[in-house]
Amino acid sequence: MNRATRIAVIVAMAIAVLAPIGLVVYQSFLDGPFFQPKTAFTLSAYDFVLDDEDFFDALWNSAVIAFGMTAIAVPVGAILAFLMVRTDLPGRRWIEPVILVPMFVSSVVLAFGFVVSLGPAGIVSLWVKSWLGTIPWYLYSKWMLIVIAGLTHVPHVFLYTSSGLRSLGSDVEEAARMTGAGPLRVALTVSLPMVMPNILYAAVLVFFLGFELFGLPLVLGDPEGILVLATYLYKLTNKLGTPSYQLMAVVVVSIICIALPLVALQRHLLRTANRYVSVKGKASAQKPVTIGFWRWPAVALIVCWLAFTVVVPISGLILRAFVSSWGEGVQLSQVLTLDHFRELMHFPNLVRGIVNTLLIASVGGALSVGVYTVLNLAAHRWQSGWTRLMDYLVLLPRAMPGLVAGLAIFWVFLFTPFLSPMRQTMIAIWVAYTLVWLAYGMRLVSGALLQIGPELEEAGRVVGASAGRVSRDLTLPLIKVGLISSWLLIFITFMREYSTGVYLLSPGTEVIGSLLVSLWGSGAVDLVTALSTVNIAMIGCGLLLMSLFGKRSHG
Amino acid sequence: MSRKFALLVATALTAVSLTITVPGLTAGTAQAQSVPAGYDPSYAKIIEAANQEGALSIYSATDASAVSELLKGFEALYPKIKLEYADQNSTEMYNRFISEAAANTGTADLMWSSAMDLQIKLVNDGYAQPYATQESKALPAWANWKNEAYGTTAEPIVFAYNKRLVPEADVPKTHADLAKLLTAKADAYKGKVTSYDPERSGVGFLYITQDAQANSNTWDLVKAMGQTGVKLYTSSGAMIERLTSGEHTIGYNMIGSYVLERQKKDPTSIGVVLPNDYTIVMSRIAFIPKAARHPNAAKLFLDYLLSKQGQEAMVARYMGSIRTDLTHINPTADLPESMLRPIQVGPELLTYLDQAKRLKFLKDWQKSLQGK
Repeated sequence: MNRATRIAVIVAMAIAVLAPIGLVVYQSFLDGPFFQPKTAFTLSAYDFVLDDEDFFDALWNSAVIAFGMTAIAVPVGAILAFLMVRTDLPGRRWIEPVILVPMFVSSVVLAFGFVVSLGPAGIVSLWVKSWLGTIPWYLYSKWMLIVIAGLTHVPHVFLYTSSGLRSLGSDVEEAARMTGAGPLRVALTVSLPMVMPNILYAAVLVFFLGFELFGLPLVLGDPEGILVLATYLYKLTNKLGTPSYQLMAVVVVSIICIALPLVALQRHLLRTANRYVSVKGKASAQKPVTIGFWRWPAVALIVCWLAFTVVVPISGLILRAFVSSWGEGVQLSQVLTLDHFRELMHFPNLVRGIVNTLLIASVGGALSVGVYTVLNLAAHRWQSGWTRLMDYLVLLPRAMPGLVAGLAIFWVFLFTPFLSPMRQTMIAIWVAYTLVWLAYGMRLVSGALLQIGPELEEAGRVVGASAGRVSRDLTLPLIKVGLISSWLLIFITFMREYSTGVYLLSPGTEVIGSLLVSLWGSGAVDLVTALSTVNIAMIGCGLLLMSLFGKRSHG
Repeated sequence: MSRKFALLVATALTAVSLTITVPGLTAGTAQAQSVPAGYDPSYAKIIEAANQEGALSIYSATDASAVSELLKGFEALYPKIKLEYADQNSTEMYNRFISEAAANTGTADLMWSSAMDLQIKLVNDGYAQPYATQESKALPAWANWKNEAYGTTAEPIVFAYNKRLVPEADVPKTHADLAKLLTAKADAYKGKVTSYDPERSGVGFLYITQDAQANSNTWDLVKAMGQTGVKLYTSSGAMIERLTSGEHTIGYNMIGSYVLERQKKDPTSIGVVLPNDYTIVMSRIAFIPKAARHPNAAKLFLDYLLSKQGQEAMVARYMGSIRTDLTHINPTADLPESMLRPIQVGPELLTYLDQAKRLKFLKDWQKSLQGK
């Protein structure tokens, strides 16, 4: 890409990001909705929020949760990625798709799965109680919330780290093994440091996800009233009776104030990113590290994690879909039923919702990865103020909790004349999703890009290829694996995304996520669990197909 | 290989898309277009105009699945009107509506929500247009405000309990019973009582303020609930599910229609009590916005919704009828009229949208809850 194209791409991105963010920041200084005639500038919204003890309570909880879940998810995810990608661990081809399960179940539904299994009247809880007489845990405590949030975000770290590890030659690992290092030492001092940029990105993003965590605290924090920033927005609305946009905007501004130093920190840590170049002119084959005896503790670690994060909530959820009642004093064998699925068949717009979801996740996801790749190429190997600007911009959309982001993007579409005809189409929803998940897709692609040695591209240029040709024929093919795994991540993310699109959804463009949430609100848990079971089955088939398909294309 | 796979996917997608393009409903009778019995003949003009409009957009806080029969009935009556039903939560609905109204790019033709206070606020702020429905004779006076806002259902606010775990003798019949039970057996019901959190849930706030008006002992009840460590939630789904499982055993101020619906499916777990000292009755409020693009279609729908046929479809899903001539089929049919305490559809609902009053009430609630 030449300089002018690069600048044009970055400016386009800046406009897309800053339009909704700017609107929210502007709204935070008003005394009423920005679109109403009699609004004036004031700082009263800041006064109100900064005077509200619930806000600081929520901020503190969010910080603790974000910190705790990062501390859990990053090491577990990184080790898991090393085991899956770099070692000869038995059965890893089958374990890998299962690892991703917590990502593609809507977090509200996943949390509900935990309630059915581990709640005070949960199935596992009652079983443990019959042995021990008491239940040794309390699902609704803050600690439990942190542990669950941490463990369910392991897949994010796993995906980022494994995409890096996959494009790593094994020469350095082999060298380390030959000089007598054990597998754990190889992992900690050789393999993982090589993909440190990916891990750092993942850490920052998970920390950030912690700040806008919504589904888990909504369900698990409900009984004890544990507030986080995203649920605080609800409380704020209700405290005043009507939604108060300026107050919500202030909360977003406060999250942005946390985000910017984080980006600075991340940039500081990655200043010497060229230390991590691993795909060089000389190709080297990938050989798994043999871990011998270590495979048993490794398998034990994976099984424990899977049992807690996947088996326990998902089995609770699926079981709930097949019974009419559960809990204390219920014989599950007597309440088995298929009624919920029968009822689901009659559900209006079900098929349309499923098709829309599949379309936005597969086609939309692929398009988004395309956009992220173009953006990355625009900044690739270019040190300038423009790329610095880009680093800061990328994370901004995520500073808005999903519901606010949805509202802001809706406003942009609504009040921009040439955009408003698109407002009720899948295009608007796609734009919203792409924007909100910018940081995630961008980082995946850039993680892959960072690992390509500059000499390869320089060689291309030397033999006379244009910059565009180098990107097309050299850089892109080299990061193919990285692109496919970003698409997978984006597919899964879009599959369960909902809140961002909530104001853009209309009859004809419903997605499964929106159906789930509206059903949850009216207490139709039967349908929620049945629909989620169908959803899980669908993605399960997808992953199975993909891993079969992937195998063949290798052979 | 990849070619074949792509082809397979493409075929599958086409097959799916073919099935969706088949219209859900092809029925529609020839005489359906005629003026409903008992209506003024001039009504034919509205039907004519509505058919010209050919479309109707409804924003609603009621699940599409809960009203699927109702909607089918309307589509059968007026097959020329393309019905778009968008269900969303009541706050989202409010945000979306006022934004769209400000942008002036078209919004809902009918607003229909259980968040009574928000609906009345919109009407009070001048967003509604008046329409005198021909069904008004059958409506109670409290359900019609200025011919702009109409109550469309009469749904009791109930106690729900877990039948397996609450002994028959404990089941409270009145608000006073409940307070007494919780005081006498505070330990047995520790952590077992659940209700909406008025600090976090708009409907929960509405019901408890109604309690405070109806019953001077409400704060004692709140105190008793506080002493048992009541668990407060933001959604009915969360509460009903935990009542089923026995995690909680008594639910206070639950929306009757949702609990009754669940009781039908799971009669051995869930019990419902209509408190017989007084039962609050809430109503889903509908109004036609001034900005409606298809006002005539909206009028047809409003009339249909309030008609016997429409109301019967709602009662089938336990959303009680607002009509005075259908009270006998309501969930509240056994209660004497004097025990029912409908929430008035009118400006009274604006009282607690005043910030100072609202925060004061929440403070009182907190105080009682903590036993002060």
